[in-house]
Amino acid sequence: MNDDTTHEDYRDTLLEEELRRAAAILDPVPAELTRIAVDAYALHDLDARIAELTFDSVTDAIPVRGATDVPRMLTFTAGEVTVDVEVTGEGLLGQVLPPQPAGIEVLGGPQQTRSLTADTMGRFTTDTPVTGPFALRLRTGGEVVVTEWTRA
Amino acid sequence: MRLGTVPSAAYDDLPYTRGGAVDRAEVGALVQSAVDGDAAAWKALVEGLSPLVWSVVRAHRLSDADAHEVYQTAWFRFAQHLGRIREPDKAGSWLASTARHECLKVLKNLRRLTPTDDPQLLDRVSEDRTPEESLLDSEDAAAQSERVRRVWQEFEELGDRCRQLLRVLMSSPPPSYQEVSAALGIAVGSIGPLRQRCLRRLRARLDARGAL
Repeated sequence: MNDDTTHEDYRDTLLEEELRRAAAILDPVPAELTRIAVDAYALHDLDARIAELTFDSVTDAIPVRGATDVPRMLTFTAGEVTVDVEVTGEGLLGQVLPPQPAGIEVLGGPQQTRSLTADTMGRFTTDTPVTGPFALRLRTGGEVVVTEWTRA
Repeated sequence: MRLGTVPSAAYDDLPYTRGGAVDRAEVGALVQSAVDGDAAAWKALVEGLSPLVWSVVRAHRLSDADAHEVYQTAWFRFAQHLGRIREPDKAGSWLASTARHECLKVLKNLRRLTPTDDPQLLDRVSEDRTPEESLLDSEDAAAQSERVRRVWQEFEELGDRCRQLLRVLMSSPPPSYQEVSAALGIAVGSIGPLRQRCLRRLRARLDARGAL
């Protein structure tokens, strides 16, 4: 490496630092988002089993030609328990499998929770639209299952 | 500040310290403390890694609403998986990769896509002043401030690849190349050469405008 190369590298580094400063001034993390991320600590839940997102129509479905505004279909899986969710403009339409009653909380963030119940067939609905990040916390039998956080 | 196992020759050869709040080598220990119930450790993780997550989101040019949601989703999921993350010292890469996948989903879900060619961005700063900006004001900073805007404007006009890479590289503290790789889905080995090309392209643009 000769001196010129070193000098050029040094100028690159200075420019990167300049960009870092510019980003801190012109495009910083919004303060409210940092606050929400700090509060998100409350969401850590070692007792619950996580139901992983195993199907998402946005990435896994083959698009139907000409179909517009198809509902978003999500499947979450934790061992033998499966939760199918359809996200529509009106709310959520869900199915717990194997069919069983469940207490369900719809989480919208560290501070937002709504409760509902799945009937004996494992079906549940919400009557208000879900927007942004959400997770479902299900109590079935003696177990708590939480779906992975996903954007509606 | 030291950086654990980063194969970033471009940095290591230089008289250049990566400043920042969180030593990346401590990230694993902070994750463990947070798992054990230490809220201060969680806060330190947020403060150290939040700019990285934000940079990933911004690099993908989402609308503000989508950007906010993706940022939150990444952090909520991180909190949720906290005790189950296999390599806690790579939490930055975990978050960057999660944010990237959520960004790609947004971009795929075209009906929600509204690109942020946000002409307000440069003007908006005057309303919501960051500490850095107040500092700029307090000095005789008209020229400096002009330079910052010029650099930013030229950066925004770079091609997608360079703009993406630089937007992630400029997060604070400087990300490791593994984190950049996770953020953009490019090989660690290609980051150094690409970084050099992009920074020189930007320098050439600034030179051409007589801004140096």
